[in-house]
Amino acid sequence: MGSADSGLPARRPMNSIGGGLQHERTALAWERTAISMMVAGVVLARFGAQEVHFSVGFLGIAETVAGALLLLWAGRHDDELHSPATPPDSVPQVALTRVIGGLSVVFSAVALAVVIVRLLN
Amino acid sequence: MTVPQSGCSGTEYSLPLIGVRSGVPHVHNPAATVKKVTRLLPPDPRSVGKEPDYRFTLANERTFLAWVRTSLALAAGGLGAVSLIPDVFGSHVLGILLLLLSFATAGTAYRRWALNETAMRLGEPLPPSRLPQFMAAGTALVGVVAAVLFVVEAV
Repeated sequence: MGSADSGLPARRPMNSIGGGLQHERTALAWERTAISMMVAGVVLARFGAQEVHFSVGFLGIAETVAGALLLLWAGRHDDELHSPATPPDSVPQVALTRVIGGLSVVFSAVALAVVIVRLLN
Repeated sequence: MTVPQSGCSGTEYSLPLIGVRSGVPHVHNPAATVKKVTRLLPPDPRSVGKEPDYRFTLANERTFLAWVRTSLALAAGGLGAVSLIPDVFGSHVLGILLLLLSFATAGTAYRRWALNETAMRLGEPLPPSRLPQFMAAGTALVGVVAAVLFVVEAV
């Protein structure tokens, strides 16, 4: 296969294609979400630092860093996300789903609070 | 009803704790509180049922991620409305509306994912949700209001 020589992962099994490239689409969805987090973090950093206080910008930086870490995770686990899962394998990313769900709630709440503070000042 | 006193050895009581608030008896039921929390933050779906076809699980995961991205886009749009068009009348209200939609979307994303996953594992129909209707109506309203405000501003 050449994977041992080149360090590249082995060819993906045909059943990952037969499933409609589900894993690849899911891996790309994680990556798109990570990039969205980074963009939203940059917007919050700019708005917070310029309109409210420079320290608020650090919240945006934190969101951007979280997005970057998620992107790194998605890249690192890309092949794992492409693995040939079959029923009884467990595929849901429960812990990461909770983390990303929680982070998006925090980010929305912070953005809302920052805008309200800006409006009141 | 007699309330058991401490020191009644060898007996377990499962009666609800009873308090009085404004003259009205108030029954504190811990099980109901747990049920409320569980409704907002469902437990790990893997604790029930059996593993569904992995394609359904991955599709559910992608749907969750799409909701998260929607929330992030709404938040970025809300911040953008406030910072990029600050001179337009009502831009702050539009921004806050978008951020409220973002918060509602983010706040329900995990719950939707977990309930869908649990339903698939139990072989039950997927639970209904009003969030798509709410989101569509809210975003459409914000868009129309924004267009009207721009026209009014230009007149």
